This record gives sequence, C-alpha cells and structure tokens, in this order.
Amino acid sequence: MEATATKSPDLTGFSREAVEALSRSRNEPDWVRESRLAAWETYESLPMPTRSDEEWRRTDLRRLKLDRFAPYADLDGTITDLASVASTSEGAFAFGEADQRAGIVVSRDGGAPYVELDPAVAAQGVIFTDLNTAVHEHPDLVQQHFMTRAVPVDFGKFEALHAAMWQGGAFLYVPKGVQVELPFRSFALGETAGASIFTHSLIVIEEGAEAFFVDAFQSETADEASFASAVVELDIADNANLRYVQVQDWGRNVWSFMTERAILGRDAEMKNLQVTLGSKFSKNSVGSHLRGENALAEMLGIFFGDGDQFFDHHTWQLHESPLATSDLEYKGALKEKSRSVYSGLIKVYEGAQRTDAYQQNRNLVLSRTARADTIPNLEIEANDVRCTHGATVSQVEDEHLFYLMARGIPKSEAQKLIVEGFFRPVIDRIPVEEIQDFLQAAIARKVGY
Amino acid sequence: MFEITNLHASIEDTEILKGVDLTIHKGEIHALMGPNGSGKSTLANVIAGHPAYEVTEGTILFNGEDILEMEPDERAQLGIFLAFQYPTVIPGVSMANFLRMAVTNVRNARAEREAGDGEAKKMTPREFRKLMREKMQVLHMDESFATRYLNEGFSGGEKKRAEILQMALLEPTMAILDETDSGLDIDALRVVSEGVNALANDEMGVLLITHYQRLLNHIKPHFVHIMMDGRVVQSGGPELAHELEAKGYEKLRAEVAATA
Ligand SMILES: Nc1ncnc2c1ncn2[C@@H]1O[C@H](COP(=O)(O)OP(=O)(O)O)[C@@H](O)[C@H]1O
Ligand SMILES: [Mg+2]
Repeated sequence: MEATATKSPDLTGFSREAVEALSRSRNEPDWVRESRLAAWETYESLPMPTRSDEEWRRTDLRRLKLDRFAPYADLDGTITDLASVASTSEGAFAFGEADQRAGIVVSRDGGAPYVELDPAVAAQGVIFTDLNTAVHEHPDLVQQHFMTRAVPVDFGKFEALHAAMWQGGAFLYVPKGVQVELPFRSFALGETAGASIFTHSLIVIEEGAEAFFVDAFQSETADEASFASAVVELDIADNANLRYVQVQDWGRNVWSFMTERAILGRDAEMKNLQVTLGSKFSKNSVGSHLRGENALAEMLGIFFGDGDQFFDHHTWQLHESPLATSDLEYKGALKEKSRSVYSGLIKVYEGAQRTDAYQQNRNLVLSRTARADTIPNLEIEANDVRCTHGATVSQVEDEHLFYLMARGIPKSEAQKLIVEGFFRPVIDRIPVEEIQDFLQAAIARKVGY
Repeated sequence: MFEITNLHASIEDTEILKGVDLTIHKGEIHALMGPNGSGKSTLANVIAGHPAYEVTEGTILFNGEDILEMEPDERAQLGIFLAFQYPTVIPGVSMANFLRMAVTNVRNARAEREAGDGEAKKMTPREFRKLMREKMQVLHMDESFATRYLNEGFSGGEKKRAEILQMALLEPTMAILDETDSGLDIDALRVVSEGVNALANDEMGVLLITHYQRLLNHIKPHFVHIMMDGRVVQSGGPELAHELEAKGYEKLRAEVAATA
C-alpha cells in the first residue's frame, strides 16, 4: 500500500473545530466552509433520534459512541493508479475492465481519489469526478444540487452531520439528452479503523438523459469500531433514465448510516438495487419521490446477514403525482445471530390518482437465533389507486431440503441452492451479467456452510 | 439385493406401515398396487429417507447394507431413486443447476466407489450438458426446460417427465416410481414408459407403485404385490394385476379379511 493511514492526531468525536479543520485541510472555497458550518449548527440543533421515533423504534443506538471516532482520517498520498488499491477491492466488487465502464472514481478514506472518465463521454458534456474537485470546478451545479432537494441538510440528525463532515464521493452530471450505456463506477474504500468516513454520491440526470451508476462501499474488518455515513442523491429529470446499484460491504467493525433519495420527473424511470452485505450495524433509508406524472421507480433490495449483524431498512415510495408506478421487492436472508428490520411505506398523496404501487418484502431465516421483522405500511389519500403489499418471514422448508437430498445433494449444498433460489427472482431482474455474477458469488460466500 | 423386512413406520405417532416385507432382486420389475391410503407413498418415502417418518421396527437392506441410518443424500448416492408422486416446487432453482449438482454428487460417489483406491474419474461440465441434452431428447423434452425453475409452473405431465429425466441422469440401481402414470395422457404415458423400459436393465431393480392396470400394459412387471392397510397382503405374478382389475379392491379386501 502506498499511502500511510493515520488518525487525525488530536481530534476525536465531532465538533465545530473538526469541521473547520477538515475544511482547512482541503483548501475549500469559503462557500463550502460556510455551508459546512451552517450544517453543523443544524446538527447541533437536532435531537439524537430515540426509540420513541417511529423510524428508530427497533434500532438500538445505545452502543454507538460518536465521540470516540476520529472525525476523519488523514491520508497522505493520492491514489495514482488502480493497481495500488486493487488488493483492497479483492473479493468485493472488482473494478471491472476499463472498456466496460464510462468512468471510475475511487476514494480511500475520503482522501484524494483516483478519477477516470472516458474522453468520448466527457466530450458530450458529462461531468464525472470526485466531489472535492467538483466544488472547485463546478460550484454552481454543486450548490444547486448538493443537499438542497433530494436530501436536504435538515433531513435528520445524521444527514446534517453528513452535510457538515462530508469528505469524498462522486459527482455525476449527465446533460440533457445524453445517453451513456456503460456504468459510472464509484468506490468508497475505508482503511483507517476507528475513523469516520463520509461518502456522498450526487447524481444529476438531465431531461431525456440516461445513465447507469454503480456505487460500492468497502473496507476490511478491523477490531476498532468505525463510522460510515453515506448520502445518495439521485435527481432524475423529466424523461430521464437512471439505473443505480449500490453494494455495501463495509467491514464488521462499521456502524453504517445511509440515506438515499431519488426525485423522479415526468416520465422519468429509475431502476434501483440496494445490496447490503457488510457492516456490524446498518441503517438504510431509501426513498423515491415520484414527483412527475407517469414516473416509474423499480426498487430492489438484497440483504444477507450473518454473525451478529444488524440491518435496518426503511423504504419510501412517495407518490406525489398521478399515473406513477413504483415496484419494490426487498429480499433478505438471515443466518446465525443476525437480525433485520424492514419497514416500508407506500404513500399516495392527494390527487395522485391512478397510482400503481407494489411492495414486497420476503425474509428467509436460516437459524433459530436469527430474526427478521417486517412492517409494511400504506398511507393513501387518493381514491383511484392500486396498491399491493406483501411481507413474509419464513424458513427453509423441510420438503425442499428433502427433495434435493433425495437426489444425492448433501444438506449443506441443498441449503445453498435453496437460498440462492430465494434470491434468484430479484437477481433475474437485473439484466447486467457482471452484477448477476457478483451477487451470486456474494450470496454463495455468505451461505458458506 | 433390496430387502425390506417387517418394516413399521409412523408419522406424528400414527402407525402407517405395519410390517412390510418385500424383496427385489437385480433385473426384476415389481408392481405395488393398493387402494388410496394403504401406505404405498409412505413406503416409498421411508425408503428414500423422508425425515417426517419414524421407523419403529424392521430393516431395509440394500446390497447387504442397512440404509435406515443413512441420510437421504447418502441413499441416493448409493443408487436409490424415488420418482415422487407429488414432486416439490422449489422456486428460483433452475433445472439445469439442480440436475448438475445431483448428477455430479451421485456420479462422483459412484466413481469413487468403483475406483476403490484408484483415481475416480469425475464428470466435466461439458460431459454433463451433453448427457442432459441427450436424455431430454429421449423424453421429448424441450431444451427450454433446463432454464426453468424446478417444477415451477410445470403441468402434471411435465413434472412426471422431469422425474424420469432425473432417473435417466442418475442411473439408479434401485428405482421406485410412485404413481408416475397418474395425470399422464396416453402419449405422455407412452413416452414415460418407453423411458423407463429403456432404463431398466439387468443390474437394476424397479418398484412400480400404481393404482391402475394401465401402466402395466406398457411396463411388464415380473411380480405384483398388493398393499392394504400398511402391509403387503398378497403377492404373485403379472396375473394378479388382472385379477385385481377384474375384482376390484373391495372384493379382495374381503377375501383377505376372511383368510386372515
Ligand atoms: N402427515 C400425516 N399425518 C398423518 N397421517 C398421514 C400423513 N400423511 C399421510 N398420512 C396417512 O397415511 C396413510 C397412507 O398414506 P399414503 O402412504 O400416502 O397412501 P397411498 O400412497 O397408498 O395412497 C393415509 O391414511 C394417510 O391419511
Ligand atoms: Mg400415494
């Protein structure tokens, strides 16, 4: 490894001082520093969520000690080539071949990233770079979109902290009418145990444009607890089209908080996949605002817990306009002592007639000590709508196991087949071979046995 | 080769099999007939090792080895095969993937047995695909079958054909076919019977469980047994099936009761 990683020497916990030190260390323009400080004020003014808040009712934050984390990791050294970070990414989402992507941003501990963009794509006016570069080179666009619409600064306590402390991530801007087929890929790699990593994905797809974005978060497991905060903002204009895939594979020492919101314009289309594999604790909030008529949001999720992992997913299908469709399918498997909570809301606003909303959460519990809770919710203020939801928690069926074993397949392999089969229908919905292969391998690794 | 002695088995504390005796030698085809609920499927499931049944008495020897303590996969790897009366649907598991795993496990186990201390020859993926295509053709199955999920959305006839395809690929030495003829139209019945006839050989024992004489017009049994209330109450040659067809189970039941 070329870079040496050290914790910021004299700071632990989050403070105004930490915000200023971070901003100074990056030579940020004044407006960025000021917006960070304003966000810090918001953070301080908001109460820490407690279990009396509906969204946090099943989430135990008592062991989260925010004051023990270094607010950011000090990294000296830029990532000069992908080979130098390749070992970190091994086994996770590989970087993919250069001719199989439109661009790539790799940042480590929110430090100076590696950035690459296909010149032919750049020539069409597409911007794809890390966010630190973007505030210098595209201040207007960033000011317009960064935590203003999809996830505003005062969205919640952790989002405000993110707005104050954000460190790295990617900015994608696809201008009107430009369609890019190959994926833009962003990797946020964590390296310094005990430190915080704040990664932001800001994606703006203008009218009639089309893009495919693959986000991956990854770190090795370490002893000391780390903190990860991700915010993802997807702004999809009228008639635009975005496929967004996120793979969370943090080490088992990480407390992960992720908030993602998409805003879809008229006739806009989003296909979204959320994959949760890593971390010790993961709080995900994923929502789609179907703001324009006839918008379509496909929201898929795959999570697989083992050991003592805790995953909490909250989803929001927000039908703000008529004639929009949302189609959500989240599937989770839980083994050993892992636990999951899924809570999903379909909300149809007044006037959003002829909404078509579907929500399904299925969980497969693989041990007696694992547990899944699922809470579907509907809130409907229009009268001409079709909303369906379904939620199940089940176990591997003895009859299935017996049938496979009666064909000579040993129990452990039979179990693996059944679990893969459980996820298969979701995997089949993502027509990208590389991602299908990745998911299949990740699931096989998780089943392990 | 395959010897069931005084087999008693229960499910949820209800005794279903009440002392079954049945011996099948290599190369023999046996038919097991009997009214609904007499315990035929229970016997088949107990042979295959279904975990819901408890064997309370008796033995099943296969080539001299007691199989009752073995897991279902070990029994299958030894060469025991059950074509289920009601094959299970397993969502998301593709036929091809499932068949490949089944065939690999069973064939590799056999190769290892046969190799003894020597090097066992394992099947390659290419060999498997070729074999699967061949067998599917014999059974008039479309290639798209391989990509479908296990028994999901299969018609009754397709399920039965899929069971016979598995039998063809696994090449068992003891095959039990539980009502494989039910739900088949006459063409499907012919295809399936031809499949079974092509597979049956001098090294293999077959137990055909059936309700009707119909199947026995296509597959000729050497022996016929009649099961009632958890026991084999009568055994004989092929003529017994005709006798049964003529008399019906009720009359036979009365006769059995009278002689008991
Ligand atoms: N799970 C069960 N619990 C109790 N009794 C059962 C169960 N399954 C089957 N049986 C009973 O076992 C008997 C034998 O059934 P089965 O072996 O399926 O008969 P056959 O195949 O000859 O029609 C029937 O009386 C049936 O009701
Ligand atoms: Mg039966």
